[in-house]
Order: sequence, then structure tokens, then C-alpha cells
Amino acid sequence: MGRLFVAALLLFVAGCSGGTEAVPGAGKIDALLAKAPVYAGEVTPGSAVDRIRKRGELLIGGSQDAPLLSQLDPISGELTGFDAYLGKLLAHYVVGKPSTELLTATSETREPLLANGTVDVIIQTYTITPARQERVSFAGPYYRSGQSIAVRKGTSGIAKPADLVGRTVIVGANTPGVKAVRDAAPTAEVVEFGSDPECVTALKQGRGEAYVQDQAILVADASKDGELQLVGEPFTEDLYGIGIRHGDAEFTAFVNDWLREIGESGLWQEVWKQTIGTVVTGDAPAPPAIAS
Amino acid sequence: MSLVLEGFLNTVALTLLSFCGALLVGLLVAVLRIVPVPLLRAIGAVYVEVWRNIPLLAWLVLFVFGLPEVGVTMPLFWTAFLAISLYEAAFVAEALRSGVNSVASGQGEAARALGLSLRQSLRHVVLPQASRRVVQPLANIAIALTMATALAGVVGVVDMTRAAQRINLELAQPLLVFTGVGLCYLVMAAGIGFGARALERRLA
Amino acid sequence: MFDAPGPRSRRRVFWVSAVSASVLAGLVALGLRQFALNGQLDPARWRPYLTWPVWRYLLDGLGSTVLAACATGVLAAAGGLVLALRPNRFTRAYAEVMRTVPVLLLVYVMLFVLPSFGVNLPLFWKLVVPLALSHAASYAVIFRAGVSSVDPGQREAGLSLGMPDGVVTRFVVLPQAVRHMTPLLVTQAVSLLKDTSLGYVVSYTELLFNGRVLANYNGLLIQTFIVVAFVYLVVNLGLSRLAHRLEAARARTAR
Repeated sequence: MGRLFVAALLLFVAGCSGGTEAVPGAGKIDALLAKAPVYAGEVTPGSAVDRIRKRGELLIGGSQDAPLLSQLDPISGELTGFDAYLGKLLAHYVVGKPSTELLTATSETREPLLANGTVDVIIQTYTITPARQERVSFAGPYYRSGQSIAVRKGTSGIAKPADLVGRTVIVGANTPGVKAVRDAAPTAEVVEFGSDPECVTALKQGRGEAYVQDQAILVADASKDGELQLVGEPFTEDLYGIGIRHGDAEFTAFVNDWLREIGESGLWQEVWKQTIGTVVTGDAPAPPAIAS
Repeated sequence: MSLVLEGFLNTVALTLLSFCGALLVGLLVAVLRIVPVPLLRAIGAVYVEVWRNIPLLAWLVLFVFGLPEVGVTMPLFWTAFLAISLYEAAFVAEALRSGVNSVASGQGEAARALGLSLRQSLRHVVLPQASRRVVQPLANIAIALTMATALAGVVGVVDMTRAAQRINLELAQPLLVFTGVGLCYLVMAAGIGFGARALERRLA
Repeated sequence: MFDAPGPRSRRRVFWVSAVSASVLAGLVALGLRQFALNGQLDPARWRPYLTWPVWRYLLDGLGSTVLAACATGVLAAAGGLVLALRPNRFTRAYAEVMRTVPVLLLVYVMLFVLPSFGVNLPLFWKLVVPLALSHAASYAVIFRAGVSSVDPGQREAGLSLGMPDGVVTRFVVLPQAVRHMTPLLVTQAVSLLKDTSLGYVVSYTELLFNGRVLANYNGLLIQTFIVVAFVYLVVNLGLSRLAHRLEAARARTAR
């Protein structure tokens, strides 16, 4: 019976392989790249920039399943979103072309990936915290966000973090949300799931009354799914940084210069409009001030 | 600290309940595979093949996130219990079946030749010998099941492994936390092994 | 042991079959109705799985799954051989510990504990090494059982014919041992392939993880995971069938 299945599958695969492929969304990044700067200054031999240039591509640690931030279209293989586009633009700045390779990272694997040089940078809603700064260097911040609360549409009684007391709250495993919920509502029961889509599904299926996650991610989820509703403003302030191998001050300064440049030229705002701005109304916010 | 206890109790409860569930379903499937009705045998065989050849994690994801999509919502713990029980039942069924098959066919035939009915020869000749032989395989399944409950942590159940990981995030004492949890699993497995040996002696 | 069916028991078999067939049909119908009521049978929700790009993405994941399984298999078999050939207190303790500690816990140790001691492996190895460590113990058990399943008389006969020890092991004992081990090795291969689904936890882009990305992208959760489960089923069934075929062929040539 197994043989029959395999044969059928092969036949089916052979029959389908003539299909055409479309690459939707490719236009957005092209428009951005047309305005993107390329670094023209000196390069210290042996530095991170030198290594990336010699390799010809930027190795990024990030996500494949974060809508509006870094989402892979499994069909076209195209990666879209705010973080994904910044990665392409950074590669363009260093190498002169947007060649990047994405390695999927989780909140648990990011520091090791940087430390052993598997990736050059982490661009993955990576909140700058003092604890993390002991193990990685951060360029930026490049985005300001905070933990927010989402509920199923029509849920009443949850308007602020204190309302979470005694309720079941869904959070992403190993995200800052775990601590944020405990600080805001110590008696809330926390249920963790490994990824954002799983959390959203769990919320919709009633496995918890609220879902606490980064605002940018929740906004993106709510844009895709009408059953979701954000309540109140972010109740923490999180600043995202670009993770760099600990102690590489030269490359950190290099990325900071680039962030300043695209902030001043308005390219940062363009990226925001193409991604998060498609679901958040209003003008692009001012990029956060870069720490020196 | 309460988190450790919660995780430990959840793991123990999930292990015990799932093993009981697996025994029950596994017994039923084993009977299906042995009875002289071709259709029932086929049903039993398909059950075993389907459940054994798909990873438990895939079953857990399908049950936890899939069942509510078709209108069946249960608490996380019970969903995990259901998936683990049905999965391990396939292994239990195989262990029971090969236990019965391992009793030399001459034994059964001799019993029938002496004029015992099918029921009598099963009751007095085949099953007593088979039951002794399935204790060890079943204990192995119970140990595997203990390990399998760790996967429930991936789909939101706060089991021992998930609790360890959460504590580790706060204490940053990974070696201590994970060694402790590893020891807990070892103790549980040792308990199962001890119980199995005692049971084997009683049946001998 | 069962009596040859006479007319009465044949009639009974017929009725039992009929009743169980209708019960089965009823259960299937109930399940399908539940799916239909919730709109999960809508052809639009299944059509994407008739397109090549979706399959290309899933088969890509399957490729990574097979790659991880092969790497694990080689490492674990090598480790198992060492453990089986050197039975001492340490190897026995190792096998005992690995038999009882969840692989997921080992994966977590790889992710959290070892980096703080400066051991940092690429993602692929973070999945493969814990799996190999755990499965090596199972391989050792299989190898030991395989070798001890060969009648000692076989070795003695070979030696008495004047063959050197190595030759006896290579041409008399091992071929028979391998024949006895084949079913167990296949069961082990299936269990290994299934365990690579832990890549879901470490974000290694294997089949189950790709299923997650796909489900997130197209929102077809049930459909995606049913298709993924089906792929696992086909591959593992194929593996078992292949083993049966090999075993049959070997049994023929052995005579």
C-alpha cells in the first residue's frame, strides 16, 4: 500500500512541476532598494564588514513566521516585513546588493548564534535588555514598541494590565511577555506556546482570555484576523536593537551610522509605511534616537 | 518553587492517566488484531500503522490546535492525554499481540487437542504464559511514555520539562535545573522498572 | 489454534463484519459531518495542496528531515556499536540514563546549558547531537541482542573449521545477526525519523516546522497538519515495506 502512495505522489509531483511561479511583493523591496545607500568608506581588513563583503552576503538570524515583520511566503520564497526589509537594506549597504541568508532563530538560540559567528546580525524584534547586553552588543534601537494586550472581539472586562489578575493569559514562550504579565498581574495564569500563530490560534479557541505580546506583532495579527482586538496602549516600553556579536564595537558603530543615515533620509519611514504602516493608521513615527 | 511542583505533578498525572488509557485502547486494538474476523483485523492493523508512523508531536499539534477547529474543545491537559494515550496504544497493542504470538503455537494446539475449548485454552494455557512475557515490553512502553509526556510542554501543558525551562529563564542556573529534572525522570523510570520486576515475580 | 470455521462460525464472522463495518462507517460519517459543519471540507481549503509550490516547500522540509535522520542514524549507530562492544559499568549506566531522559530535555540542555560552557553548535547539530546521544543507547541494545541471537554453535563450528576469529565474526556471525536485527533496525529508523520532528522546537526547518510556517501563512491549520501527517505516514510505511522486501530477499539468498 505504501508503494502505491509513493507512486501516486511521484506521479502527482511530476504532473504539477510544470506550474508557473509568481513572485508577489517583490516590487516593494525594489522600490526601497532604489533609494538605499551603499557604504563607500574605508574597510578595516579582517573586520566584520570585510568578512561580509568577501562572503558576498549577509547572514541574518530572524523569523519566517512573523507577519509584517519577517514572514516567509512559502510559495515564492520571498521574505517580507519590517525586519526582513531592514536586513535586505543593510546587506545592500555593506555588499552593494541585497543578498541575505536567513537562519531561523528562536528567542533561545539568538545569543549562541551570534557568539559562534553563525550569523552576522540578529534582526528579530530583539528587545534591548540589560541582561542581554551582557551577552550581545546591540546596534540601534531601530524600533520602539511595547507589550500590549489582545483579546477576542467582544470580550469585556479587560482594558488594562491590572485586569489580567486571576485570568488565563497566553504568552509566547521565552518572550518578554512572560515577565511583563507577572509584573503587571502576579496571579494571572500563564499559558505558553512556542510561536505567535499558535498563540493567536489558542486565543481564538478560548485557551486563554487575553494574549500579551509585542504591540507590533499584535497589530499585524489583528490586521490578518478580524476576530482579534487590541485593548489599551502598550504597558511596557521595549526598544528593539540589531544584535551583534558581543564586544564588536566597530561593527556596532557601523550599523548605528547606517541606521542614522536611513533615519535622516526618510528611508526608515518608507520601510515602515510598506510594512507596519499598511495596518497601522497615521504617519510613520520618528525612528528612535540611536544610542551612541 | 510552586512551578516545579506543578510541573512534576502534571508529568506524573499525565504519565499515569495516559498509560491507563493506552492500556485500555491497546487491549481493544490487540483483540481486534487477533480475532478471526478479517475486517476487524484490518481495522486493528490500520490503527497501529497510522498511529505508529506519525510523530507524536504532529499528533499533539493536530489535536491541540486542530480539534477546536472542528468544534471539539477540551482543556489542554486532557487533549494531551488523549493524543498520548491513542499514540502509545498502538505500541501497547503490538506488545500484547507479540506476547500472545510468542506462546508457542504448539501450546495452544496441545490444549485444544486435550479437548479444552478455545476459551479454556486461552484462559488457562495461553494467557498466563503471555501475560508474563508482556510485562517487560509494557514497562518499556511506560518508560517511553514518561519521556513522551515532555512533548506536551511544547503545546502549552506545564509539564516538568516546560517548568524547568521557565525556571531556567529566571534563575539562569541551567545545569542545576536540568540535572534535577533529569533525575526526576530517572527516578520515575526506576519506579516503573521496579514495579515491573515485582509484577513479573508475582506472575512467575 | 482457532477451529476451522464451520457454517455457524462463518455466519457469525459475517454478522460481526457487517456490524463493525456499519459502526466504522458511522464513525467516519460522524467525523466528516463534524468537519463539514465547521467548514473544513470546503474544497477551497484543500485546493492549495494540489499545487506544486506548496508541495515543493513541504518536500523541502522532508529533505531536511531525512538529512537530519540520516546524520543521526550514522552517529547513533556508531555510538551504539561502541557501547555494544564494550559492555562495562559506564556504558550500561549510559544506556540506562538515555533510556529514561526525554530527548526534548537533551535538546534543551544543548540549547541552554552547553552555550554557557562555551559549547555552541550550529542549529542542525543542536538537533542531531541530542537525538544521536539518545538513540545510540537503543542501537546498542539492538546490536547486543542481534549478536547474542546467533547460536554459539555457529561460531564454534566456524572456528573448528579452522577459520580465523575475524573471518568467523565477519562471515558467519554478523550476517545472521544482521538478519535477526533488520526488523528492529527499521523500527528504530522510523522512531528516529519521527523524533526529528523536534526540529519544530529548535526552528530547524524540517517537515513539521515547515508545516507550521505554511499553516501560519495560509491559515489552513487542520489541512496543513493533516497533509504533513500523511507525508510522515507515507515515508515511514515506505521504509517498513522496503525493509520487508530486503528481509525477504535476504532470506531467499541465505538458502
